This record gives sequence, structure tokens and C-alpha cells, in this order.
Amino acid sequence: MSQHALVELVQNLVPAHAGGDVSMGGHGRLSALRQDGLREFVRMGIPTTRHEEWKYTNVFPFIGLDYSYAPMRWDASSASAPAVVSAAEVRDALGQHISIRVLNGIVSVDAPQLPAGLEVIELTPELVESDAGVAAALSAGAPMHANPFVALNTALLESGIVIRLAKGLALELPIHVSIETTSGQQPMLVAPRILVIAHEGAEADIIQSHHASGPSIVLDATVVEFSVAAAANVRYHKIADDSESARSISSVTADVHRDASFTSHALSVGGRFVRNDLAVRLCEPSSQGFLYGVSLLAENEYTDNHTVVDHMLPHCHSEELYKGIYDGTSSGVFNGKIYVRPQAQKTTAYQSNHTLLLSPKAQVQAKPQLEIWADDVKCSHGATMGQVNDEAIFYFRSRGIDKDMAKALLTYAFITEVVEKITLDGLRELLTHRIARKLSAESLLF
Amino acid sequence: MTPLLQITNLRASIDDREILKGIDLTVNPGEVHAIMGPNGSGKSTLASVLAGREDYTVTGGSVLFQGKELLELSPEERSREGLFLAFQYPVEIPGVSTANFVKTAVNEVRKHRGEEPLEPAAFLALMRERMALVEMDPSFLQRSLNEGFSGGEKKRNEIFQMAMLDPVVAVLDETDSGLDIDALRIVASGVNALRRPNNATVVITHYQRLLDHIVPDFVHVLWNGRIVRSGDKSLALELEQRGYDWLKQEASVEA
Repeated sequence: MSQHALVELVQNLVPAHAGGDVSMGGHGRLSALRQDGLREFVRMGIPTTRHEEWKYTNVFPFIGLDYSYAPMRWDASSASAPAVVSAAEVRDALGQHISIRVLNGIVSVDAPQLPAGLEVIELTPELVESDAGVAAALSAGAPMHANPFVALNTALLESGIVIRLAKGLALELPIHVSIETTSGQQPMLVAPRILVIAHEGAEADIIQSHHASGPSIVLDATVVEFSVAAAANVRYHKIADDSESARSISSVTADVHRDASFTSHALSVGGRFVRNDLAVRLCEPSSQGFLYGVSLLAENEYTDNHTVVDHMLPHCHSEELYKGIYDGTSSGVFNGKIYVRPQAQKTTAYQSNHTLLLSPKAQVQAKPQLEIWADDVKCSHGATMGQVNDEAIFYFRSRGIDKDMAKALLTYAFITEVVEKITLDGLRELLTHRIARKLSAESLLF
Repeated sequence: MTPLLQITNLRASIDDREILKGIDLTVNPGEVHAIMGPNGSGKSTLASVLAGREDYTVTGGSVLFQGKELLELSPEERSREGLFLAFQYPVEIPGVSTANFVKTAVNEVRKHRGEEPLEPAAFLALMRERMALVEMDPSFLQRSLNEGFSGGEKKRNEIFQMAMLDPVVAVLDETDSGLDIDALRIVASGVNALRRPNNATVVITHYQRLLDHIVPDFVHVLWNGRIVRSGDKSLALELEQRGYDWLKQEASVEA
């Protein structure tokens, strides 16, 4: 069998030599990590639907294209970066915020002055070499040995973004990372890497959005790693509302330490192909994870949410609520794993996943997987799948509200429970409006 | 005078089983009609067919609503024209507040009449005023529609919606079921407060007790898909004493 084009592309991009001291022109830790990434990517190859984790997620329609690669380069002159794609709607909704933009792989930071205690820095070989915390977070986080696209991202890791919050910093302004890519005649591959280190007691909101444009496919293999130290509180929001040309495969991991809390909102309101892998490790006692997801899909859109919550030690708490609405020929996956390890007594872990199918051709695969090895725990999961209730529609119609509007109002009501979990007012309103617009239910907004 | 509702030889079936076997009923402005009858006689079917529930197939007859053929209209058009059905089992709708629901409904009706939507402040004032009719606390406005409401609260909410929509003909489908005596009094006084010379009410009930509060001009007994006896309010009292069996026997003999 011939070598896959994407594997070949990655192989050609990774320098062959490894090791040596970075300051002496050698290649150090980062280079070694990239070699590991490449080796793992070659070993695993492109996942087929025979692979359990990719059973319903077929990447073959676009993975074999002839991609060019837009590397993550760092643009020191932050203000001069051109707006290739407008992510303006998100920015407007957030009001005052700290903006990090990755424009065709080039990072720019737009904030007149970063608040004291916040660092937004380039992930360089030198930094990885000199900063043990960064190095440790990098190799501990993403599942490079299990997920081929994390391995790909790691193999291509020349540069990335490190967002570091000092001890006790409660960041008032949200941070928006927008990944904006414009393809030309050739399909384009981007592999942004973002590392968020929240030191003890720090608190922050991070919003990540993806915007692809141009005539060809944009394959976006973003990897985000969170290290959430004791008593820190990080809220992460990933918006997928992308164009027809976007193919997004992202992996997010969070290591949550003692008394800390990590919240994720996976907000998919559009996208031809979105795969979200999210792993939350509750790795010290009394840590908490909150995982929320909205998938509002129509036409031929696709979203796959694969989540893992790993209860490693006692007294941790997790809550997971994913809701999906599927119209047209759209389809989706919810795969939710919860591990409760033998030591993790007094765990509380709740998962629920609810689906509304608006069309007979829409499809969804829901798979809760709970592995519980401790005996003194409270765990539950629930999954429902259904159509809009006919009795409810008749009730609306008997009050003068026509069928389409009734359906829109009921659908909107179904999903608001999750949207209301968003604590950032501007973002919640943006999502509310976006959802109402997609359901043609703007008149329902009061 | 055009009747508000004129039902002629109405026949309807569900799953090929005929439930209504030729109903005739005329309701004029200002009147209150009570429709009584034992379980399974077709009372709720009649309410459902009038409201346009699609589970039923109308197999014959006609229903003129203010002179217009009702059976050709969709359920929402019937509502906008001024027909109101108070549900026997109001549906719980999580995620839609009572205020949003009522506001959407009222504005649809106003649009139909060529009126502008109400201003939010005026609307809120109107809602509070109409809620007072059925002694409903304004806090219900922000709660999900009927979700977690008690039986009595759900029925009061139905009458509140009726008050907001201001129908020409209101059909109350066993609104008394599941109500304690206080709730019954509140619901009935709400209905009475909405009576006017140019509207009418059709009360469907098993029991006489609701009719102590909402006093009917006419009482009809439905049995086996037909109205087998009509009379004034004394008929309801007679039924309360004698039950339905004597009427069933008479009807069987006549058939």
C-alpha cells in the first residue's frame, strides 16, 4: 500500500535530526517531542471507521487531499496582522476582551496592554528547553499515543501559544482565540497548538472560534491543553460555526488539580465536519469538571463529540450535559466515557445526553460508557432521543401559533437549558441569537 | 342573528371507529351550553374535533363558526378566528415561559386581526390584570409553561390564556376534573367574568358541581356519539340524582 499523502506531507515537514542543546543550535526537547509525534502518527496512520474511536467519523472524504501546510508563525508586531477572515461577530459580542488571532497560521495578540499576571507568549524550542512547567504540561497533556491527529499536531509543533495566568489572577476580560484560515487553490492544513497554564487560584474565560474561508478545504487540527492548578477556575468555550470548507478535528485536554474547576462548552451551531475530543482528568481530590455541549445542525452538517471524564482520586465531581438538534441530513455522535478509578471513592459523576431529530434523514449515534472501579460513588447517565412532541405542537396551534413556529419554539426551548450555562453574557446572547436565527425563530426573542 | 356555532350532523372517527354519529348543536351569542354524558360518550372527541386535532377524521356534517366553515381551517386559524379550547390535560412545555408563550399567541391573534403587537409594558400590565382574574401569582409568568404546576394551577393557567385571547367561543373540556372546591370556584369565577353578550361558552363536564358555579342556559346529554336529550339546567340536576342509565335505555329504545 502506498504511503498516505498526509503522512508523507508531515514526514517531509519534520526535520530528521533530533537531540542536542537548543542554545547551541541543537534540537532539544521540542524536537524530540516532534520526533515522537511523527513516529506515533506514522504508526497509527489515518484512522478508518474500523477504529473504535472513529467508527462513525469518516475522515476519508477529505483526508486524502493534496494539502499545503500553514505553519504557526509568531508575529511580533501584533497590530499589523491583516484581517483575513472576519471573526468580528464573536469579537463584538464579547465586548472588551483580549484577542489572540491565528491568521493563516500566524499568531498575533491584540491587547493594548495585558493585565498584570497574564502572559501570552510564543511556544518556542527555547521556552520548552528552559521552562520545566511548559515542558511537563506539553508532554503530559494531549493523548499523542492514542489520537493520530494529536500526533500529527505534535509532529508539526514548531510554534504555539502559551497562555499563562499567575497565581491568584482573576482575569476580568475574557480571552478570545480565533483561528482564521483562508485557503487558495490548494487545500490547507493548520495545526495550532495552545497551552493554557492556570496557576493556583487563577480564574479565566477562554473562547476559541474557528473561521475558514477560501475556495478549498481547510483542515484544522487544533490541540489545546489546560493545566488547571489547585483552586483555579477555567471556563473554556469552543464555538464551531464554520463555513462549508472547514474540516475541524480538535483535541482538548484538561488536568484539574485539587479544589480546581474546569468547565467546557462545546458550541456547535454549524460546520460540515467537526470532531471534538475532550478529556478532563480530575487528577487531585475535590476537583470538578463541567462539560456542556450544544449541537444544532442542519443540511449535511456533522459534529462528533467524544468526551472522557477521568475520576482519578476521591471526592471529585463531574457533570455533563450535551444536547443535539439534527435537521436535514445532518448527523452526529455523542460518545461519553466516564472512568472512576479504584481510589476515587466519594465520586459524583452525572452525564446526560439528549437528542431531538427534526428530520427522518437525520442521524445520531449516542454511546455512554461508564467504567466504575470504586464502590462508594454516585454516578448516573441518561440518554434520550426523540422528535418534537406532537401533543405540544397541537397545544401551540390551538393558541394560534402555526406549526413551524411551534416547532421552532419547542426546539429552541429544548436547547436553551444548555446555552443558559454560559456565564459570559455577551457570548450567551450571541449564541441565543445564532440559534434563533438558525431555527428561523428570531421572533421568539424577547 | 347568526349563531356563533352551528354544528350539523357532525360525524367523526378515529382509527376507523366512529365516535361522533351525527351531532347537532346551535350556540347563540351570550349563551352557556353544558355538554354532559358518561365516559366514552364522545364529549372530549367533540372538543378535539372542534379544535382541529388531526387524530380524528371528520366523516360528515358541518360546523359553521360565525357563518364560516370551521372544519376547513387549521387549528391555528380556528384559534385566531376566536375559538378557544381549554385542555383537559394541559401540556407541560419545559423551556418556554408562560409569558413568552402567551405573548407569542396573543401577537399571532393580533396579527390575524391586522393589529400591531402590544408594547412590552402594556402587555405585562394586561397579563397581570388577567392573572388576577384566576388568582394566579405573577411569578408563574417566568416559569416554564405548566411544568411542575399542580392540577389546579394548570387549569387556572388555561383560563388565564382564555382571558388573554378573548375568544368568541370557549370550549372547556372537563376543566373541573382534578380540581378541589376552592380551585373550582376560582376557575368558574374567571369564566363568568369573561362572559359577555357577544360571546359564548361550551362547558363539557361529567358532574353537576361545576354547573353550580357556571350556570348553563342549556344542558345536552351526549351518549354513544349523539345528543340524546337537551334541556335547561334542571336536566343536570336530574342527571345528578338519577345517573345516566335511564337515558341510555330511552335512547336504545328510540334507536
